[in-house]
Amino acid sequence: MELDLGPEVAEFRADLRSWLTTNTPSGLGDLTDWRSFGVTGGRRPDGLGAALADPRYREWEQRLTDARLVCPQWPAEYGGQDMDAVRVAVLNEEFATANVPRVVRGMGETLVGPAVLVHATDEQKAHFLPRIVSGEDVYCQGFSEPGHGSDLAAVETKGVVDGDEIVVTGQKVWTSGAARANMMFVLCRTNPDIGKHSGLSYVLIPFTGPAVTFRPIRQMSGAAEFCEDFIDGARAPLFNVVGGLNNGWRVAMTTLGHERGGRATVQHLRFEQEFWALVDTARAYDRLDDPLIRQQLAWAYTQVQLMRFSGVRTLAQVAQGQQPGPEASVAKLFWSEYHKRLGEIAMNVVGADGLVRPDGENYPTTEWQNVFLAGRSGTIYSGTSEIQRNIIAERALGLPKEPKAAR
Amino acid sequence: MQLAESAEQRELRASVRRFLADKSSMAAVRELMETVPGYDDAVWKQAGAQLGLPGLAIPEEYGGAGFSFVEQAIVLEEMGRSLYCGPYFASAVLAANALLCGADEAAKHQWLPGIATGELVATLAFAQDGGAWDGTGSGLTARHDAGEWRLSGYRSLVLDGHNADLVLAGARTEAGPSLFAVTGATPGLAARMVPTLDQTRRLAHIDFNDVSAQLIGVDGAAGEVLGRTLDRAALALAAQQLGGAQAALDMAVAYAKSREQFDRPIGSFQAIKHRAADLLLEIESTRSAVLYGAWAVADCSDEVPVVASLAKAYASDAFAHAAGENIQMHGGIGFTWEHDAHLYFKRAAFDQQFLGDSAYHRERLATRIGL
Repeated sequence: MELDLGPEVAEFRADLRSWLTTNTPSGLGDLTDWRSFGVTGGRRPDGLGAALADPRYREWEQRLTDARLVCPQWPAEYGGQDMDAVRVAVLNEEFATANVPRVVRGMGETLVGPAVLVHATDEQKAHFLPRIVSGEDVYCQGFSEPGHGSDLAAVETKGVVDGDEIVVTGQKVWTSGAARANMMFVLCRTNPDIGKHSGLSYVLIPFTGPAVTFRPIRQMSGAAEFCEDFIDGARAPLFNVVGGLNNGWRVAMTTLGHERGGRATVQHLRFEQEFWALVDTARAYDRLDDPLIRQQLAWAYTQVQLMRFSGVRTLAQVAQGQQPGPEASVAKLFWSEYHKRLGEIAMNVVGADGLVRPDGENYPTTEWQNVFLAGRSGTIYSGTSEIQRNIIAERALGLPKEPKAAR
Repeated sequence: MQLAESAEQRELRASVRRFLADKSSMAAVRELMETVPGYDDAVWKQAGAQLGLPGLAIPEEYGGAGFSFVEQAIVLEEMGRSLYCGPYFASAVLAANALLCGADEAAKHQWLPGIATGELVATLAFAQDGGAWDGTGSGLTARHDAGEWRLSGYRSLVLDGHNADLVLAGARTEAGPSLFAVTGATPGLAARMVPTLDQTRRLAHIDFNDVSAQLIGVDGAAGEVLGRTLDRAALALAAQQLGGAQAALDMAVAYAKSREQFDRPIGSFQAIKHRAADLLLEIESTRSAVLYGAWAVADCSDEVPVVASLAKAYASDAFAHAAGENIQMHGGIGFTWEHDAHLYFKRAAFDQQFLGDSAYHRERLATRIGL
C-alpha cells in the first residue's frame, strides 16, 4: 500500500523516477547494497568503502550537486531547493527503490545546518551552509566530554574570547567521523560565573592543525568508530559562534530536537535487509523449525514493520500539515533497543558457532557477532535510552521534572 | 491510503467518546457487569438507531452506513477505552464480517440490515474448549438430511452467545468447514452463559442438539471466509486493546502527577517515568499497527493476514503490560476492588487470549512471511 500524498507529489515522484533513469551512472546500483548504508553499530554492507571510492560514485555526487539534490531541504539561496519534508521522503523512497545512494553531508547536514538555519545571521548562513552542501566542510561533533555524557550542560571545555577570536581548550569524546572531519561543532563554557545552562556557546571550530589531536577509541566489537579529542587553544573567529555568546544551550537543543521527518519512511529499510539476512542464516543453520527461534524472528519482524508503519504515519501527518505525533519522539529508543535485542537473537540463531571467531589479527568477527557486540552502543550514544525515556515522559506525557536539588 | 485522521474521522471519534462517557461511565460498567445480560439494551439500541455504530462499516446496500474499517476501528478503540459492555464486537465485527467476507448475497440481505441497526444481535460460534481459534475445530458437525442441514456438537467461548438472536456457526461437513445460521429460538439450541474472568465480557457454551440450520455460502468453502473474518476480528480486537491500553496509561500518568511521596509527585521519579515512557512507546507502536491494518482492510490489501497477526500479538502484549503497570504505579489502591485498574487488567487478560494469544499469532506471522 502506498500513502496517497496527492497529485502534485505523485507528479514529483514520476519526474524523479524519470530523472533517475536518465542520470544514474550505469552500474552504480551494483557497487553495494546502498539501502543498508548503516549507522554506527549496524551491519556492515559489503564493499561500501570501495563503492564510495568508485569513480561512478564521484560522477553521481556531481550530478546530484548540479541538480540541487544534495541538502535539497535547505533554502535555494544556500544551495538547496526548499524541498519540503514530504518530497524529501519521496526522494529517499525512490532512491532506495532504485538502490542508489543519497549523497548526504553527515552531521553537517543533519545537525549543524538546522542549528545554523534557526540561530545564525544571514552572513553566517551564506558562509557556512554552501560549504556543507559542496562537501568542503565536513563536521564532527564536540559535545560529550570524559566527565559529562548524559549531563551535557555540565561541559567544561573552555571558550575564551580573545579580540575578535574565540580560543577553545578542553577534551571531547565519542566523536564519530573525526578522521574525515575538517570542522567540529563544539559546546564550550564561555562564562563560568553564570548558570550551568546559560554560560555555554556553540562554536564551529577548525578541526585541523596543531591545536587539535584525536585518538581512536577501540570498542568492544574491535572496531574503532569513535575518537577522543584533545583541543589545545584552537582558534576561530567570533563569526563562528552560532546564536551569540552564552546562548549555546538553546542552539544545541535545536540541533538535538531537529525533526527528520524526511527519513521517516526509509529508516526501517536497513533493519529489514538485516532481518531477512538473519532469516537466511537461520535457514542455513536449519533453525527455522525451532518454535523458539520462530517466535524470536516473528518478534523481530514485528518490530521492523512497526518502524515502517510509524514512519508512514509520521509522513501522513507531516503531509497534512500536522505536527508529527509522539511516535516520532520514540523512534531512537525504539530502534536502538530493538537492535540490541536483535543481536541477542542472532546469537541464539547461530548457537555454539557464535563462540568461534574468524582467524586473523585485530579481533575480526562474523557479521552477527558484530551486531551482537556493536549493538550495545546504540542504546548509549546520541542520548542513552534512560535519557530518551526521561524526555518522552516529560515532553510527551507531561510528567514533572526531577526537583532541582537532585538534578 | 491516507493514514492521518481526517476532520470527519475526528468528529466521529469525538461523538462516540461523548456518547460513551455519558452512557458507559465506569459506574455504569460496574453496575452492568453484575447483571445477567451484562449490558444496557436501551444504550445498545441508541448506539444503533441514533449513532448507527453497528452498521458503520456495513455497505449501504445491506442497510449500513457504508464507511470503512478505518472508521469502525475508531469506534472500537473508543469502546475499548471505556470498557463498553455490549454485543458490538460479537454482532458488528464477528457476525457482520462472517457474512461480508462471503459471497452469499441472499444471506447478506437477510441478516445484515438487522445487524446494522442493532435490532438483531448476532454472534459467531467458532471456537471450542481450550481455544482452536482458527474456526475449523471438529467439535461441531453438520449433515444434510431430508432436505435440510442439521448441526450436532458444541461451540464454546462464544462471545455474547447467551442472548444472541442469531448464531452463525462454523461447522464441519463432509465437504469441509462450512458456515451456518441458527436463530436463537431454534429447538435443540442450548446456550449457557459461563462465568468470565473479565466480567465486562460475556461468554457462552452452546450445545447444538440436532439443530436445524441454514447453510451460508457454499458447503465446504467456509475455511477461507472464516480465515478472513478472523483476520479482521484480530485487527478489530487490536483496536479495542489500543483503547484499553491508552486508558490504563492515562490513569497511571494522571495518578503519578497528583500522588506525592517523599515530598514530590511520584511521577518525578525516574522509576515511574521510565515505565510510563516504555508504555507510551508500545501504545504508539500499537496505534501505528492498528491504523495501518485498518487501511489494509479498507484497501482489501494482501497485507491483511500479516498485519492482522502482527497487530494482535503486539497489541495483546502492550495492553497486558499497560494494565499491569497501571496497577503497580497506583500502589496499594491499585489492587483493590474499588479501583478501576483491575477492570482493565482483566479485560487485557481476556483480550490477550481471545482469538489466540501472542505466541499463537507470532507463529502464524512466521508462517505468513514464509518462515
